[in-house]
Amino acid sequence: MSKRYQARFEKLKQSNQKAFMPFTVLGWPNKDKSLSIIKTMLSSNASALELGFPFSDPVADGPVIAKASFETLESGFKTADAFALISEVRKLDEAIPIGVLVYYNVVLATGVESFFKQAKAAGIDGVLIADLPIESAEEVLPYAKANDVDLIFIVSPVTTDERLQRIATSAGGFIYLVSRLGVTGTDKSAGNLTNLGGLISRLKALTKLPICAGFGVSSKQTSSALLELGVDGVIVGSRVIEIARQSEHYESDLAKLFKELHESCCELRSPMDAKK
Amino acid sequence: MKTLGYFGTYGGVYVPETLMPALEELESAFLIAKEDKGFMGELGNLFRDYAGRPTPLYYAKNLSRLWGADIFLKREDLLHGGAHKTNNALGQALLAKSMGKTRIIAETGAGQHGVACAMAGALLDIRTEIYMGEVDIVRQQPNVQRMKLMGAQVHPVTTGSKTLKDAINEALRDWITNLGDTHYLLGTAAGPHPFPTLVKFFQSIIGREARQQFFDRYQCLPDYVVACVGGGSNAIGMFSAFIDDPTVNLIGVEPAGHGLSSTKHGAVLSKGKPGCLHGMKSMVLQDDDGQIIEAHSVAAGLDYPSVGPEHAYLQEIKRARYESVDDKEALASFKELSCKEGIIPALESAHALAFAKKLCLDIKPGSRVLINLSGRGDKDLAEVLRHE
Repeated sequence: MSKRYQARFEKLKQSNQKAFMPFTVLGWPNKDKSLSIIKTMLSSNASALELGFPFSDPVADGPVIAKASFETLESGFKTADAFALISEVRKLDEAIPIGVLVYYNVVLATGVESFFKQAKAAGIDGVLIADLPIESAEEVLPYAKANDVDLIFIVSPVTTDERLQRIATSAGGFIYLVSRLGVTGTDKSAGNLTNLGGLISRLKALTKLPICAGFGVSSKQTSSALLELGVDGVIVGSRVIEIARQSEHYESDLAKLFKELHESCCELRSPMDAKK
Repeated sequence: MKTLGYFGTYGGVYVPETLMPALEELESAFLIAKEDKGFMGELGNLFRDYAGRPTPLYYAKNLSRLWGADIFLKREDLLHGGAHKTNNALGQALLAKSMGKTRIIAETGAGQHGVACAMAGALLDIRTEIYMGEVDIVRQQPNVQRMKLMGAQVHPVTTGSKTLKDAINEALRDWITNLGDTHYLLGTAAGPHPFPTLVKFFQSIIGREARQQFFDRYQCLPDYVVACVGGGSNAIGMFSAFIDDPTVNLIGVEPAGHGLSSTKHGAVLSKGKPGCLHGMKSMVLQDDDGQIIEAHSVAAGLDYPSVGPEHAYLQEIKRARYESVDDKEALASFKELSCKEGIIPALESAHALAFAKKLCLDIKPGSRVLINLSGRGDKDLAEVLRHE
C-alpha cells in the first residue's frame, strides 16, 4: 500500500473513525471552480480524494457524472490539464491520499508507462481503471508498482469468491465496494443492503485492505447504513456534482454535505449495536 | 472465463467489474449451446422455417456485363427482417432463453438489429427494449415503427453523438444495472469477449452457405469476397468460411463519409489507432488524449468509431484488406443496383457494391466477385431522397 493511504487509514483506525472520500470530475465545470470544489473537500475533513479523469464514453457512470465529463471535454480540458490540476492540489495538502478514476483508453493513449510516471510526479497514490478487470491487470501492474502507485479495484455484490481472491492478491490502497448493481448516481436508494454484509465479511477474510463503499451514497443516512455493515469508508460522487451544479452557494452547501458525511464517519456504532 | 477472446493483441475483456459475472455466464452458456444438438437443431429450424434460410446466391447478370467481372450477390437482404441481423438475434435470443433471462436489451444504429431483436423477442416471448440514438431515430423512422409494432420498447439516446456508439453505452449501463434477468443482445461482432466470437458463430452461416452454393454451382471459389464493415458482423460472418482459402481475397469496405481527409468519416481501420472502447481492444477513432471521435456515415449502421477486433487482427496479419467509399459513391451504388437489377440495397451494403465496382476496373476481366448484400434498402428511401 502506498505510504499516504497506509498512514491515513492507520490514523483513522487509531481515532476510531472511518474514511470519508469525496469525488469530483477533474476540470469540471472549469479549472478554477474544480479547484475550489476540491479545496472545499480539503477544508471539510476529507480523509482521501477521489478525482475522475473525464472520458467521452464513461459506461460505468450514470447521467450526472457522464454529463459533467462531456462538459469538461467540450471546454477543451486535456489529460495534461488533469495532471497539472492534481499537482496543484498536492501542493495544498502533502498528506492526503489522492486516488484517481480513469477509463482505460485514456491510460492507453497516454501510454501506460508514461501515465503512471506522470501519476507519481503529480502526487497520485492510487489509480482505479474503471474498465480494467483483474484478468487484464497485468498490463498495468508492473508500471503501477514501479511508480509506487496503488492499483485500486472494484468489488461488486455479484463478484464471485474466485474473483474476490484474485482481486485481493493484486489490489492496493483500498477495495472499492460498489454497494449495488448499476452505474454511479443517486437516482436509486442504496437499495437492498442485506447481502452486502456477507460480502464484506468474506472480503475481510481475504484482505487486510480497507473496504470503502460507493455508488448511491448521497446523505448521512445512506453513509451510516453502509458504515453499519462494517465498511471502512464511504465515497460520495454524483451528489457532489449535483450540488455544485444546482446551488448558487455551492461551497457552503458542499461543506454542509461533507460535514454530515464526516460526522457519520465519526459516530460509529459497532455492527452488533446497529442490529439492536 | 475460459478464455479472454483475443485475436492477436485485439479483443479481450475490458469492462467494469460488475459485468464480469454476466460475461462469464454468457460464455459458459454459449460453449454448452454450440455443442448441444437440441439447441442447434432448434436454431436450424428457425433459420429455415422462420427466417427463410438458405438465402440465395444470385448471379447479377446486368452488373456483370456493366462492370466486366462476374458479380455474385449473397442475398441476406431476402432474410426475414430484411438483413443479416436476424441470424444473430435468433441465436442470442435462444441463448438468453436457455439462461433463463426474461428481458432482452439491445442497441441499434440503422434499426435493423433492433428490428431483428423485436422479431426474436415477439417470437420467443421475451420482453425487448431497444436503445437507439436520437439522430438515428429520425433517419430510420420505418424501422422504429416496425420495432414498436412487434412490441419492443424503443428508448431514445440523447447523450454524446446520439448514434450507435452512445446507444451501446446506454445498453451497457442498463445491463450493469439489471444483469440478473436481462441479456444484452449485442448486434455486432464487437464488444467484450465472448461477443465477437459468439456473434461470428451465429453469422458464419452466411459464409458457409455462400461457399457451398458457389462450389456446388461453379466447382470453384470466388476470387474476391467483398462486404461492408461498421462493427463488422456481416463481413466476419462471410469471411469466416473463406479465411483458410488462400486464393480468396477478402475485402472489407468502411464508410469514408464526407471523405478520408475530412473529419466526418467512419474509416476506423484506415484512420483509427489501437485503443479500448466498449469492452474490447481494437482500432478506434480517437484524439491524442484517447477521447473517442464521433464517426460519420450516410449509412447509420456503419456509423461506429471502432470495429470488431477480429477485423483489426485480419488487417494486421494481412489476411483481409480494408478499403473505404464515401457517402456519394454509396448513394450512387444504391441507385445503380436498384435501376440495373431491380434490387434496392441497404445503404450499408451499397458501400460494398461501390467498392466492388471500383475493384472491377483493376482486376482481370472475368474475375469472380462475391458481394455480401447484407440488407435491403427500403428503410433508407427517405434518407436517400433527402440527399437528392
